Amino acid sequence: MAIDGNLHYFLLLLLTPLLVVRHFCEDFTEKRNTTQTKTNFSHISRMARSLAGFLALFLFVLICGAASLFQPISDSHRSAALELFTPTHGSFKSLEETYEALRTFEVLGIGKKPDVTATACRSISETLGLLTSTPKDLFYALKANSIVKCKINEKTSEGIITRLNTAVNGASSLLDFYYSIGGLVLIKDQTSKADVYLTDAEGVFRSVKAFSQSDGRWRYSSNNPESSAFAAGIALETLAGIVSLASSEMDQSLIITLKNDISKLFDSIEKYDDGALYFDDKLVDGHEHQGPLSTTSSVVRGLTAFAAVTAGSVNLPGDKILGLAKFFLGIGVPGDAKDFFNQIDSLACLESNRVSIPLILSLPSTELSLTKKDSLKVRVNTVLGSNAPPLTVKLVGAFSSGSKDASLVESQYEMQELKFDAETGVHILSSLPKSIDVGSYTFVFEIVLHESEHEKVYVTGNQTKVPIFVTGLIKIENAEITVLDGDLGSIETQKKLDLAGQNVVSLSANHLQKLRISFQLTTPRGRAFKPHQALLKLRHESKIEHIFVVGNSGKQFEILLNFLGLVEKFFYLSGRYDIELAVGDAVMENSLLRAIGHIELDLPEPPEKAPRPPPQPVDPYSRYGPKAEITHIFRAPEKHPPKELSLAFLGLTILPLLGFLVGVLRLGVNLKNFPSKAIPATFAILFHVGIGAVLLLYVLFWLKLDLFQTLKLLGFLGVFLVLVGHRILSHLAAASAKVKSA
Amino acid sequence: MGKLWVIFVASISIILPFLCNSFSPETPTDRRVLVLLDDFAIKSSHSLYFNSLKSRGFDLDFKLADDPKIALQRYGQYLYDALILFCPSIERFGGSIDLAAIINFVDSGHDLIIAADANASDLIREVATECGVEFDEDPSAMVIDHTSYAVSATEGDHTLIAGDDFIKSDVILGSKKIDAPVLFQGIGHSLNPSNSLVLKVLSASPAAYSANPKSKLSTPPSLTGSAISFVSIVQARNNARILITGSLSMFSNGFFRSHVQKAGSPTKHEKSGNEQFLTELSKWAFHERGHLKAVNVKHHKVGETDEPALYRINDDLEYSVEIYEWSGTSWEPYVADDVQVQFYMMSPYVLKTLLNNKKGLYSISFKVPDVYGVFQFKVEYQKLGYTSLSLSKQIPVRPYRHNEYERFIPTAYPYYGAAFSMMAGFFIFSFVHLYSK
Repeated sequence: MAIDGNLHYFLLLLLTPLLVVRHFCEDFTEKRNTTQTKTNFSHISRMARSLAGFLALFLFVLICGAASLFQPISDSHRSAALELFTPTHGSFKSLEETYEALRTFEVLGIGKKPDVTATACRSISETLGLLTSTPKDLFYALKANSIVKCKINEKTSEGIITRLNTAVNGASSLLDFYYSIGGLVLIKDQTSKADVYLTDAEGVFRSVKAFSQSDGRWRYSSNNPESSAFAAGIALETLAGIVSLASSEMDQSLIITLKNDISKLFDSIEKYDDGALYFDDKLVDGHEHQGPLSTTSSVVRGLTAFAAVTAGSVNLPGDKILGLAKFFLGIGVPGDAKDFFNQIDSLACLESNRVSIPLILSLPSTELSLTKKDSLKVRVNTVLGSNAPPLTVKLVGAFSSGSKDASLVESQYEMQELKFDAETGVHILSSLPKSIDVGSYTFVFEIVLHESEHEKVYVTGNQTKVPIFVTGLIKIENAEITVLDGDLGSIETQKKLDLAGQNVVSLSANHLQKLRISFQLTTPRGRAFKPHQALLKLRHESKIEHIFVVGNSGKQFEILLNFLGLVEKFFYLSGRYDIELAVGDAVMENSLLRAIGHIELDLPEPPEKAPRPPPQPVDPYSRYGPKAEITHIFRAPEKHPPKELSLAFLGLTILPLLGFLVGVLRLGVNLKNFPSKAIPATFAILFHVGIGAVLLLYVLFWLKLDLFQTLKLLGFLGVFLVLVGHRILSHLAAASAKVKSA
Repeated sequence: MGKLWVIFVASISIILPFLCNSFSPETPTDRRVLVLLDDFAIKSSHSLYFNSLKSRGFDLDFKLADDPKIALQRYGQYLYDALILFCPSIERFGGSIDLAAIINFVDSGHDLIIAADANASDLIREVATECGVEFDEDPSAMVIDHTSYAVSATEGDHTLIAGDDFIKSDVILGSKKIDAPVLFQGIGHSLNPSNSLVLKVLSASPAAYSANPKSKLSTPPSLTGSAISFVSIVQARNNARILITGSLSMFSNGFFRSHVQKAGSPTKHEKSGNEQFLTELSKWAFHERGHLKAVNVKHHKVGETDEPALYRINDDLEYSVEIYEWSGTSWEPYVADDVQVQFYMMSPYVLKTLLNNKKGLYSISFKVPDVYGVFQFKVEYQKLGYTSLSLSKQIPVRPYRHNEYERFIPTAYPYYGAAFSMMAGFFIFSFVHLYSK
């Protein structure tokens, strides 16, 4: 028994390393979930990378193609400005940032701005007082001061003027000129002294002009061949400063060549699909590369500054200005403080420029409900949202989008004027033309200014195209569900459906029958309506779905499902199919998804090679979670008879011994043969003690000794027994032989 | 001076391997993220999302996706811990990054966030497919929903969708309920049903479908109803986490700040749920939640403290393990009532739910089954959104030794009695036989 157990155990130990290896292999084979790769053959036409990336910004406003809507600056900008420009410990990081924040607040007219005047004044006067301040530091300090309006004492300002004048004379690059001349212009406005002027304005003008390129772009310095539109903006701003600082009239020919440069620069303007125009420098290596926003903003700043100081008009088409305004409005709310400032500052420049002021047409809502009889409302504002001069808005056309048909606005409605509501500042068209039904349209508006001299100041764009969705409740009628018999086409069951209600139908069909669902859709104006989504869904119990497009002829929508042709598609799955109907469209106010009911389908048994239904996704919630506990069932202990029974049988086993003893006594056993002499008697006693010891050893073996101990002792006892046994037995044999012979 | 230089180089070369690694329980902080963009304008138009990452201590490295200098690894060491692909239109990455590099990056346990968009490039689609997610093949398709779109004054084509069918999991979306619907505008995707690692976090309503909104629908759309997923997550077996969505604009400041009203619902929410939803999701994706570690796996006989080399059948034993969850800053005790241990040999013999003391210590005591062999203590803990724990510890179980069985069985008393009475009889008989006359 013991040896057997030990052997098993030994074999197990041998197997252990093998098992270990196997388990480790299982654990460490980590397979990445190889998913099926599908090759996408469809070629996708894409725009240029940067363009597409930037268009992501436009998602909010870009709806389709050329027709798009720009909203002027609104309150969302104001709340964003307060979030973006938050001073840390009562001040901004630098004077440049201080200026940008304050300028933004000023333009947006935010009253509840953080108060940084005291700290700003301290750092402005510090910067201005320092002799080591560069023209750049001075420039931004003065810029910030133009808004904070701290007092600069006479002595400091005189010192600054001389320092900036020497900087102008020693300037060699565009940025040197920009900062020093910009500083002079700013200090001229800020001090009472009027004697800030450039002695040799024309000379300075020419040396700045020397950086210009033939294409209207500018270089930063004479030894840097790269030219950019960003630099052109800076140069224009500098030159405007020079003109305003000139003590005498400038040479007009210089101004005229500069104006030509500007129109050349605007030839390189780039365009988005929605009419927004922008400048972008295609510098590849420049680490100081500016994005389209800052480049365009620099040009706008330069252009407006230059236009403000020159007498004649800058000859630029108004559309370009409008396109620039659209660009700035199109970026929405930038999340970067610098971008935000550029956007707001440029719009502020456009708001009051001398070239032409853009007017933006916007709609509070481009969704008009026919059922609710919404009126068409149009707002015309400047870019920053202030009121436009007196004007009239006309609806000159309406096109159904997607089709190139002629205008839907009939002749008598043509040039329909919108009424101006002075209180709200909204132009209203109270009722839509009769020809406009539900659908998506492109409305074309035209703005006519009342006063002719305004036409030189403002630019409205000829015609503004706006996408409009006209929505309405669609009438759903005559909805029916029918089960038809295969060949004859006779009606087996027909049920009316109430698609607006909640009733459900239950049908049954076999594979020889057909299912027909039909309904009619009518627009509020009584015309046929084709929704974008008209789908019928059959869902089997096993969640396998089948989707069908419901086709139409005129108003009537009908789908006929011939189950004989569909058995393969249905994977021969009989059973209950839930029927769902989805009818929806962007202009349908009562788009619906309705569970119509269910149909009990009886399909034939699948042939051997029938396609298998695809696997269905597993519910993620049921995939995990605790498992049922497992408890080991232990082997039941062996059954033993009751102890009394064993004791009784123990008693029985003693009985033969007792019988033996009784028999021995009855036979009259005596010990007369026991040797009487001392030596044989001793051996006899030793012999029997030996036998007793062996028997005692057996008892001990039973009680505690193991086999080896027992055998060892038994060996000694055996030898002893053989010796003494031989002596006593031979003595007894000799004695009995003596008796016999005698 | 030269000596200093040597020390400096040596220390750098020793520290360098530890600087950049994927999420590891030893150094879970200090994580660097590479953000690949189509255009730097996204940096400013999506700044709220980036700022929320930065404020949580992530070091974002913005690069153009076609920048020729970008690389994920140098000298065999990964430079970043996570990758954000906000470049839906990229055809070919610059530098050394390609599809295989991204897959290797994830395979080595790093995290990935992919945002596609309408007109997503083949490359981005392929990356998503490798992750078990398939975008609608039709390049001009967008998800349209005529019943649960977001009411908006300017968006009339119902592609701006207010999604509120979230996965029910606190670990993925945070314990705070997301009240406002999440704005989504972009392409839908479906999950590979055979992939059990990918989960839908935000799914479309049953009425949604994926089609080109501008053209007539003549064939049934390939994706419909709640099979469309807006946002999905993957937790790979190596605990790398991936977030995939078909809308880049849902991360934008515009969507974060936009108010939202779901069609047909009277409640107008001041702010969309995007910020909360995506911030919470990024916490999950970057292992700030749901990352578990198990330490101090111990087992011993009841009443003892030392771990034995083997157990005997029918021994009573105690098993304990400590489980902690990473909270973004520290390891917090993990409390759950569904951690189970198996006593396993080919199949579980004992499977018990561990009791925890709310401080991360899980323990149980049970009796070793009366089957001998090489067993394992196995903790296979998988829970929705949590990293999986897979612990196994091998332990042999032996049967009773020969001398460990019961001695002096009462049933055998008659046998004992017979033997001993026999022996006594023999002893007496030896006298009778030899000396009787």
